[in-house]
Amino acid sequence: MKTRILIGGLALLSALLFVANGAWAGQVRGVTDTEVKIACLVDLSGPGKYGGPPIADAFRTYVAWINDTGGIHGRKINLIVEDNGILPNTTMIAARKVLLKDEVFALAFNLGSAGSSAILPLCEQHQAVLMPHGANKEFFIPGNKWVFVPHTVQYSMASRAVEYILETNPKARIGMIYQDDGFGKEGLDGARAAAAYMGSQIVQVAPYRTGTIDFSSHMSAMRDAKVDWIVLWTYLPQSAAIIKQKTVMNWDVKLISNNTTGVPPLFALAGAEADGYMLVTPYAPGWMDLPGIIRIKDLTKKYGDYEKTLGNPSYPDYLYMAGWGYIEAFVQGLRMAGRDLTPESIVTGLERVRDFDMGGVSPNISFSPDSHVSSFSSLVLRANGEKGRFEIIDPIKEPKTPIQ
Amino acid sequence: MGRKFKTSYQQDSALFQNLWVKSWLAIAIVVLCVLPFVLKPYELSIMNGIGIAVIGALGLNLLTGYTGQISLCHGALVGIGAYSTALLSANLGLHFLVSLPLSGLMAAALGLIVGVPSLRLKGLYLALGTLAFGFIFEYVILHWNLTQGEMGLAVPRIQFASFVVETERHFYFLILITAALATLAAKNIARSKIGRCFVAICDRDIAAEAMGISLTKYKIMAFGISAFYAGLAGCLLAHYQQWIVPGNFDLMLSISYIAMIIMGGLGTVLGSILGAGLITLIPHGIVYLTDAFKDVWPGLSGLIVSFKLGVFGLVIVGTLLFEPRGLFGIYQRIKVYWKTWPFKY
Repeated sequence: MKTRILIGGLALLSALLFVANGAWAGQVRGVTDTEVKIACLVDLSGPGKYGGPPIADAFRTYVAWINDTGGIHGRKINLIVEDNGILPNTTMIAARKVLLKDEVFALAFNLGSAGSSAILPLCEQHQAVLMPHGANKEFFIPGNKWVFVPHTVQYSMASRAVEYILETNPKARIGMIYQDDGFGKEGLDGARAAAAYMGSQIVQVAPYRTGTIDFSSHMSAMRDAKVDWIVLWTYLPQSAAIIKQKTVMNWDVKLISNNTTGVPPLFALAGAEADGYMLVTPYAPGWMDLPGIIRIKDLTKKYGDYEKTLGNPSYPDYLYMAGWGYIEAFVQGLRMAGRDLTPESIVTGLERVRDFDMGGVSPNISFSPDSHVSSFSSLVLRANGEKGRFEIIDPIKEPKTPIQ
Repeated sequence: MGRKFKTSYQQDSALFQNLWVKSWLAIAIVVLCVLPFVLKPYELSIMNGIGIAVIGALGLNLLTGYTGQISLCHGALVGIGAYSTALLSANLGLHFLVSLPLSGLMAAALGLIVGVPSLRLKGLYLALGTLAFGFIFEYVILHWNLTQGEMGLAVPRIQFASFVVETERHFYFLILITAALATLAAKNIARSKIGRCFVAICDRDIAAEAMGISLTKYKIMAFGISAFYAGLAGCLLAHYQQWIVPGNFDLMLSISYIAMIIMGGLGTVLGSILGAGLITLIPHGIVYLTDAFKDVWPGLSGLIVSFKLGVFGLVIVGTLLFEPRGLFGIYQRIKVYWKTWPFKY
C-alpha cells in the first residue's frame, strides 16, 4: 500500500512539473552586440583524425583574419573547435556541448555524414545552421532549411568520375571498390547512375568494411571481371593499400578515386607507385598559382602557421582549403544577413550568397532558396609520382547525369 | 530490537527497509524533481543521457550481475528497441505509449533467441555468440532498405494530445518516470523468486539445477527481461535524438554498458544507477575539465583529445584495481563507516 502511495505521489509530482513548460528564450543564442559564436566540429581523435586538424587550422586562420579586420557588422567571431570523433555517438555529444553549453549560433562545419544525420534534428530544434562535410543526398533532396553544403556532393563526384572514364574510353569495363557505409554507397549510386546514363554499367563491385587495408580479394575479383578501370570510393589509407596491391599483382589497371584521397600524404604512403592515380575533387591542388590559392597562402602567412600548413609539402592541403571554403561561405552568409543577426536572417543571408569568387580554388559559392548545395561540379586530377603532386587533367565541369 | 534487526522474511525482503531509506528516497525524489528548474539545458541533456543509460544498465545487470550470463550484444538490443519505435511510430503512426512497450517486446523476442545458445555456451564462448548477434544486427540495419542504411531514420516527436515533448526538460521528466518505474521493477524482480533463481544460477548453475531450478526457463527469461529493458532504453533514445543511425548501436555501446555494471557494482540495482551515471559523465567531465583550464592552460584540450580514450580506460582499470566491487562497494563502505562510527568495526 505504502509503495503504491509512493509511486502515485511520484507520478503526480512529475506530471505537475512535466506540464510546467520552461522558457529559455530570450536573445539570440550565441549572438551579442560584439560577438557571434560559431562551432567547427572535426575529428581529432577518431577514425578520421587525419582530416580534422587541417580543417581546424583553416578555420582558425580565417577567423583570426576576420577578427583582425574588425569582424562582420561589428561582431567578432568566437570560434569553438570541438572534437566530434566522426562517429554518430561522439558527434552527438559534441553537438550537444556546443549548442547547449557553449550556446553557439551555428555549426559552420561538421565532419562525417552519419554524424551529420544524427545531429540534424538537434540543429533543427535549436534553429542552428548546419554545414555538413561529406553530404549525402538526404541532405539536399528535398533539402532542409537549416542545412547548407558549400562543397560538391559525393554523388556528383562519382558521376563525374564515371563520365570522365567513358568519355575518354567508351568501351571501358568499370569496376568499383567502395566503403560499405553511407559515404561509399553514395559514391556507388552516383557511379551506377552515370554508367547507366552513358549506356554502360559497373561490371563488378566490391564493398569493404571501414578500416580494411587488405584488398587482395577485392582486387582479384576485379581482375577476374576483366575490368580496366576501377572507381575507388575509399579513404586515404585504403587507396594507398590498393595502389600497392595493384603493384604486387603487376596489373596495369587504371584507378580513379574521390576528393578525400587527393592529398600529398598519398605519395608518402604509396610512393612513386601512386603515379597515374586519378581522382575527382572540387578543389585545385595547393601548389598551383591560382588567385584564390595565392590569397589563401598570403592570409595564412599573416594569420596562421604557414610553415606547418600550406608551406609544408606533405601537408594535406585539400582539407585545409575545403575548411577554408566552408568558413568563407558561412562568413559571406553573415555579411548578407546584416546587423540584425537571427537564425532566420542567417538562412536568408546564406541564400543570398551568389557566385562568390573563390579565385579558381574551387567552384564559386552560390546558394539560393531552392538550392542549399553550392555546386555539383568538380575537376579531375592525376598524380605525378615523379614530382609528388597532383595535376589537373580535366577542368571544372558538372556531370550530365541527373541526380536520382 | 525489532527496528535494529530483521526478524521476519518479509522485513528482510522489504523494498524500503527502514525509515532512513525512505527518508533518503524522499529527498532524492524531491531533488530529482527540482533539478530541471535549476540546471541548464546542457546539464539536463547529461541527466537525460544518464537516465536512458540507467534503464539499459539495469537490464544488463539482471542478466550479467544477477544471472552470470555475459552479453556483448546489449547495444544491438538497444538498437532493436530504437529501430522498432522509429518504424512503428513513423510507418504505422503508433503512439509512443504503444510503441514503448512494443519496442521492449520486440527486443525481448530477439533477446530470447539470443538466450538459446546460453543453454549450451558459457563464459567466453557465450560472449562470442552474443558478439556475433551484434554483428548480424549491424549488418542487417546497414543493408536493409527499410532501415535506410548508414544515414538512418527520422523518429517522430512524442505527443500527448496537443502537448509535444520537445525540450530537454520535457524529456527529463519522461525519462525520469520511465527510469524510476524500471528501477522499481528491477528491485522487485531481484527480491522475487525469479531474482533468487537468477542468483542461484549465477552462483553455481549445476547446484541450482539440482535444487529444481529450470536453467532453460530462467536463463532464457534473464535474456528476455534484459533485452526488454534494452528495448525501452532504445525507444527513449530514439525519440530523444529524433534520428537514429546504425553507428549509435555499435560494439562500443555494448562495452559501455558492461563498463557501467562493472564499475557500478555487479548484481546490484544501485550499482547499475551509479555505473550508468559515471560512464555517461566521463566524456562530459572531460569537457568541463578542458573548459575550466582553457584560459590558464590552452594546450590542455589538445592534450586531452589525444588521451581521451586513455582517460576512459584509466578510470576503468583504476576502479577494477582499487575497488573491484565498483561504486556500490564504495557506497557500502561509507554506509558501514557511518553506521559504526566512532568505532572502526
